[in-house]
Amino acid sequence: MLSYTLRRLIAVVPIVLILIVICFFLMRLAPGGPFTSERPLPPAVMKNVLERYGLDEPLYVQLWTYIKNIVFYFDFGPSFSQKDRTVNDLISQGFPVTLTYGFFSAVFVLVLGIPLGVVAALRHNSFWDYVMTGLAIFSQIFPNFVLAPLMVLLFTLAWGLLPGGGWNGGQWQYVIMPAVALGTSYMASVARLTRGGLLETLSAPYIRTARAKGLPERTILIRHALKPALLPVISYMGPVFVYMITGSVFIDIFFSTGGIGQNFIDAAYTRDYSVILGLAILYSVLTFALTLIVDLIYAWIDPKVRSGLK
Amino acid sequence: MMKKTTFALALTLTTALSTQAFAADVPAGTQLADDQTYTYRLLDESSSFDPQLVEDTDGSGIVRDLFEGLYNQDGNGKLAPGVALSHTVSADNMTYTFTLRNDAKWSDGNPVTAHDFVYAWKRAVTPELASPYAWYMELMSIKNGAEIIAGNAQPEDLGVSASDDYTLVVELSQPLPYFADMVAHSTTFPAPKWAIEAHGDKWTLPENIVGNGAYKLTEHVLKERSTRVRNEMYWNNENTVLDTVVALVIGDENQALTRYRAGELDKTDTPAGQYPTLKAELPDEAIAVPRLCNYYFSFNLASGPEAFQDVRVRQALALAVDRNVIVDQVLQGGQFPAYNFTPAATAGFESPEIAYAGMSQSERDAKAMELMAEAGYGKGGEPLSFTYLYNTSESHQQVAIVATQMWKQKLGVDVSLENQEWKVFLENRGAQNFEMARGAWCGDYNEASTFLDLLQSDSGYNDAKDNNARVDELLAEAKSSSDTTPLYTEVEQILADEMPVIPIYHYSANMMLKADVKGWPVNNVQQKYYSKDMYKVAK
Repeated sequence: MLSYTLRRLIAVVPIVLILIVICFFLMRLAPGGPFTSERPLPPAVMKNVLERYGLDEPLYVQLWTYIKNIVFYFDFGPSFSQKDRTVNDLISQGFPVTLTYGFFSAVFVLVLGIPLGVVAALRHNSFWDYVMTGLAIFSQIFPNFVLAPLMVLLFTLAWGLLPGGGWNGGQWQYVIMPAVALGTSYMASVARLTRGGLLETLSAPYIRTARAKGLPERTILIRHALKPALLPVISYMGPVFVYMITGSVFIDIFFSTGGIGQNFIDAAYTRDYSVILGLAILYSVLTFALTLIVDLIYAWIDPKVRSGLK
Repeated sequence: MMKKTTFALALTLTTALSTQAFAADVPAGTQLADDQTYTYRLLDESSSFDPQLVEDTDGSGIVRDLFEGLYNQDGNGKLAPGVALSHTVSADNMTYTFTLRNDAKWSDGNPVTAHDFVYAWKRAVTPELASPYAWYMELMSIKNGAEIIAGNAQPEDLGVSASDDYTLVVELSQPLPYFADMVAHSTTFPAPKWAIEAHGDKWTLPENIVGNGAYKLTEHVLKERSTRVRNEMYWNNENTVLDTVVALVIGDENQALTRYRAGELDKTDTPAGQYPTLKAELPDEAIAVPRLCNYYFSFNLASGPEAFQDVRVRQALALAVDRNVIVDQVLQGGQFPAYNFTPAATAGFESPEIAYAGMSQSERDAKAMELMAEAGYGKGGEPLSFTYLYNTSESHQQVAIVATQMWKQKLGVDVSLENQEWKVFLENRGAQNFEMARGAWCGDYNEASTFLDLLQSDSGYNDAKDNNARVDELLAEAKSSSDTTPLYTEVEQILADEMPVIPIYHYSANMMLKADVKGWPVNNVQQKYYSKDMYKVAK
């Protein structure tokens, strides 16, 4: 298991390097540069600006310098649009914000989604099952870009209970709406997956055997049925969690959280090469890390998977 | 000796600005609110708080609070004392001497001296700093400025010096009658050498920054908020009322309006198209004021369609656009129909009598059809079609659709629309990869040349690539003329005759401002606000 984990970690390095090279050249191919502006800079000023940011060097030199600075100094370079900040600054300020509401959103998804799915499966075709189905439909009708404005209209404008946006150091009042708006649709999906998985597991022969042996329903559910029933949920939550903690552009912009999702879209518009690259690296590393964690959890739950990981 | 005497006599006092304390002008008997916190919305994060590096309008607003230049602007856009109390100018308009107040201090207690301005101005033109507004310093015509920016001279050669701690002398390379108006710009603000040298690029972080403005930065959370509080070292802190100013970055303008309605903001922008409704609902809070900006369509005269070379075609297209429909029915934000390039609100500018401005739209349409027929294009003539380029924006798209429909119906001209992302659009427009494109310009200073210079033959912003020797001559003459009105009038007349660009409208600023906030400079067409001039009254 340890050697499997190490192999997976080492494999990340060449993949990230390839990703850097692809992103680097893709950005350079896009028309318009970081200093293209409505008021074109005089040639002499433009030359100085390019020199300041090392953009006057040949592309291969720029690429090598970039990789070298990351590997040896963990320096992702300066931001071209935020003149007194580096990419490290942007990430270190924005990522904790995104991580915070992403984490609470994931907690919201799991804490509500799994029990709801369990209840729906156990009370199959009952009131609670219909509630769960209704919630799933609700989340389809009200995706976060509809739900968020509705929540603000109700909780901020009509009832004055919560601030309409901002972060303010991460006080709980500011975290609730971004976390809920981000998580609602996933919560419904988790409930649906849990319900489906549990219904299937509960009809499996080994559960019938357990019942025949006289094991209490509670023990059957918790010890024998729930773990395998949650495998689809775990598969689903891996990429979802990456999405949550790397920031939703919509949530960041709508709630003005200051999270890194907004940086990505802004960087694309301003051609802030170093910010785009820095975030792409962060996203890819997080994706690999979380995929690995999901695989390890899978192995922990399912002995068949565990034996295949050696 | 003779020369020396003449020079001494030539120094004439041209400006003695009122020395009244320009800060919040609170009428007697006003009951101020207990909480003097002003919170407003920013569309995006500021590019920098460094006066010599900041390049966005919102960022410049914050920098005006954190630093103070030689002059400020008052509520009407006129110069008001800042660190300088007055200035003299030599008879040849080539040397400006500013007298600085001796009670100005930096937020760390150091005195603000002329040396701080010398340092800042040399810094602004230093190639290593690569200031995006170095071109502005070039525009100020400071002696050797252009050469230093181009790397052909040393920053030490810049024509600015401190003859003592409180006297700043500026030598120009050519006379510039409106030079003093240009020193209210943030690029010209002083900079604290010791703080910059101690902290490098990080000197503008809240924990490091040293400013000489009415406020100091205490908090800056990227993409979320920045907070500034009163600077107790500011020379006029006693007359400053607002205690705290909070700028919140809110990217979604409708969400910003919701938060404004919920009482979280004192000021926000009006979402496009909502001004009339908001004005009806909240008449005391919805505001539209003239802005120093124009909006126009630019022909590509260098490599555009052959038909554009015919002035009758250009005139016909200009005449057929019903600007009132665009302003009153499409934009609905208090904009002003434009028939000439320079906004009427520009200081010292007299709007010339442009013939087609005085016609009714039906007269313009008839004339347009006549001109187009004469040129042999459109209905009954050779088909005319071209592409109109604009950048992604709902209002740009609406203006384009309406204008092209007018051309289609009235003149039989087929126009296809092309929408590009901002940077792609800029690159293509700048490289003349278009046939007709939208254009807009906001004045950097309040004088007509900030607009008309765009149409000089060698201007980098002349996207039409129009070459007109007479326009160049008139604009050059205006640089040293004491009466620019006849010169600018002639330029505008030439533009109306030749029509290298089609003026469409002049901007207005639309905003929502809480009724208890007073002192916002609604009459300042550059919208240069200073928090020190504002205050909140008790509700």
